[in-house]
Amino acid sequence: MDFNLTKEQADIQKAAREFARGEFDPDRILEWDRKQEFPFSIWKRACDLGFQGVHFPETYGGQGLELLDHALIIEVFCRQDSGIGLAMALSDFGAEMLLAHGTDEQKRKVLPFLAQGKGWLTLAFLEEGYDLSTFQTISHKNGNGYVIQGKKSYVTLAGMAQHVLLVCQAESNGPEEQSAFLLTKDAKGIELEGIGEKLGMRMIPVQAVSFQRVVVTGQDMVGQEGKGSSYLREFLNPARVEAGAAGVGIAQGAFDRALDYARKREQFGKAIVTFDPIKNKLADMVTRVEMARWMVYRAASSLDQKRPAEDRWAILAKMIASKAALEVAHDAIQVHGGYGYMTEGQVEHFYRDAKALDLFMESGSIEKSMLGDRIAGRA
Amino acid sequence: MEILNYTEDHLKFRERIRSFFEKEVTPHVDEWEKSGITPKSIWKRIGQEGFLCTSVPKEFGGMGGDFLYSVIVSEELVQTSHTGLAAPLHSDVVVPYITSFGSEELKKKYLPLCVSGDMISAIAMTEPNAGSDLASIQTTAVEDGDDVVINGQKTFISNGINCDLLIIAARDPSTSDAYSGMDLYVVEAGTKGFEKSKKLSKMGWQSQDTAELTFTDCRIPKENRLGYKGGGFLMLMEKLQQERLMVCIGAVAGAERMLQDTLRVCGEKVDFGKPVTKLHNNRFKIVEMAAEVRLGRVFLDKLVADHIEGKSIVVDVSMAKFWTTEMAMRVADQCLELHGSYGYCEDNRMARAWRDMRVLSIFAGTNEIMKGIAVKFMGL
Repeated sequence: MDFNLTKEQADIQKAAREFARGEFDPDRILEWDRKQEFPFSIWKRACDLGFQGVHFPETYGGQGLELLDHALIIEVFCRQDSGIGLAMALSDFGAEMLLAHGTDEQKRKVLPFLAQGKGWLTLAFLEEGYDLSTFQTISHKNGNGYVIQGKKSYVTLAGMAQHVLLVCQAESNGPEEQSAFLLTKDAKGIELEGIGEKLGMRMIPVQAVSFQRVVVTGQDMVGQEGKGSSYLREFLNPARVEAGAAGVGIAQGAFDRALDYARKREQFGKAIVTFDPIKNKLADMVTRVEMARWMVYRAASSLDQKRPAEDRWAILAKMIASKAALEVAHDAIQVHGGYGYMTEGQVEHFYRDAKALDLFMESGSIEKSMLGDRIAGRA
Repeated sequence: MEILNYTEDHLKFRERIRSFFEKEVTPHVDEWEKSGITPKSIWKRIGQEGFLCTSVPKEFGGMGGDFLYSVIVSEELVQTSHTGLAAPLHSDVVVPYITSFGSEELKKKYLPLCVSGDMISAIAMTEPNAGSDLASIQTTAVEDGDDVVINGQKTFISNGINCDLLIIAARDPSTSDAYSGMDLYVVEAGTKGFEKSKKLSKMGWQSQDTAELTFTDCRIPKENRLGYKGGGFLMLMEKLQQERLMVCIGAVAGAERMLQDTLRVCGEKVDFGKPVTKLHNNRFKIVEMAAEVRLGRVFLDKLVADHIEGKSIVVDVSMAKFWTTEMAMRVADQCLELHGSYGYCEDNRMARAWRDMRVLSIFAGTNEIMKGIAVKFMGL
């Protein structure tokens, strides 16, 4: 059991760290967050330098690396800035499902496009609530193809992504029978609906997407008909690892800022870092960051070693890391005092973004109940 | 047996203020959140209605009400789903300094205008380098003939932009002792050398005009000092108790409201084939929250009763401030989670409440300072 990163992994981490430190401009970050704008320039540069899609095979524009490598990059980006990091992580949302089940043609069309910074992919699956067993969005058979009708909520980058992966109910099949399709955003009948402003994750536009008699062909299907539900469940594991990596990065970034502030800020004639209550808080924060980090690396490595039965690690990783992000960012604000509550203090931005992880894809309490079900042997 | 004895008059007052806020405050809250400030006109309206400075004696234009009226105003403001209209800060934190320590002239001059809402008040203690360590403030007040000249910078000042009247804590540089060298002065907005230098952008309390204030050779009459020379620090220590109690009211009433909202919204929202409140994981969570909120309410009401009786509440209010505010943040966090992704969108009250709650453990003395005070008074 070796807990050290390989030389290659450490190099990637270092390169990503240098890039993030050099290019994530704090003033632009405040502006992007305020104006709710996607950080195009950073995203483009990150793609040019090969930081996106590192875990795609080389034939599809990637570097043939592992999920753990991809997770390390997300962590480092989120550590420098939670908003930019999440925007990067969500730029290819759904790619792992396509990697696992798409046809060669589908993969050639989409994956290099994502890695080279030509555009975005999104996955439309959630409707109202977190229940994934039955969707109201349905694909009806229509000759050799299908007609899709319904509505998906909370679709990330829906207005920007040229490619949309959709998981919907397959007509006249049982509740778990779902199908996945790869659509282009220009398909006739796709309409977007704004959801208003969000608490955080403000650099990532999110919309509801309605499908009004959207006609697709059999070639647009990803994998086999009726298998969408299992593809989705399987996809959620790498997605949880990525969200977990974002959580570790957010927690670490909030901690870095708190420690830095505590060293500089003097009250009662001394740097506040010398006071026991602050030291204790910092110790709690580090404990949470490290617990989350090793859980996420464990989960990533488990998926890289193709142990598909082990989704408990991915669930644990996301649950622990999103909680760590929220709690550490919460404490980081406290260490900063009044300054922490101000926009220019930057940590409040980490805290708002951290709360998204607790709600994204599934909430912490859903994760706990899934874990309970697995332990009790129900699923 | 109730802990607090609300009379018929109190209950009528509550009814009146509730319906007033519903009609004249709540509908404008979104607009005020966007503009980052509340209009002065609403302060005048609530002043006209007799909802400001309820504790000011009748001879100075107030209603001479007991502290329960202040509790009612604060609790009803929580129902308006925003925190920017900081009337409790004006009525129950700042103005009491004038009522308790101001000269007859200052009281006659300012109290009626504070009651009517013609003047909005603020208090400036915190500085960029003096937060928790209040005694280390650097703003100076130097006597010069019949005047006092103020120089320095204050920050995180609530009502900072709207304020017409400011109470400022400053030190006399000729006195080396930080405690006995501190005084409080009343400064009118518009006085030369008093600049409202920056409106601050914050995570929450977005309709509250929190600001940075700068004083450059700001000259005011000596008579604007509150109380005796060198008494500033002790006055602050005395009045901070009620300020902290006001924070506890906001925390407990806020938690009660968030829980009610959550029960309503999540009782209608269906997931996994059931209302969200009926899902078995959520039911225990809701019961746990309800228990915490109830504990907070009992603790708070007892403190309010003790405060009205004139008992010293220093230790209890310090404990209540950290406990109730941390409870309110826990409740905010869990209620938001129960709302799901919908709660993360700004078009419902939960997202704003979550943002607004986060500052309660920081202002009016951080929770770490609260624990420090309790430690000291418990002789630990």
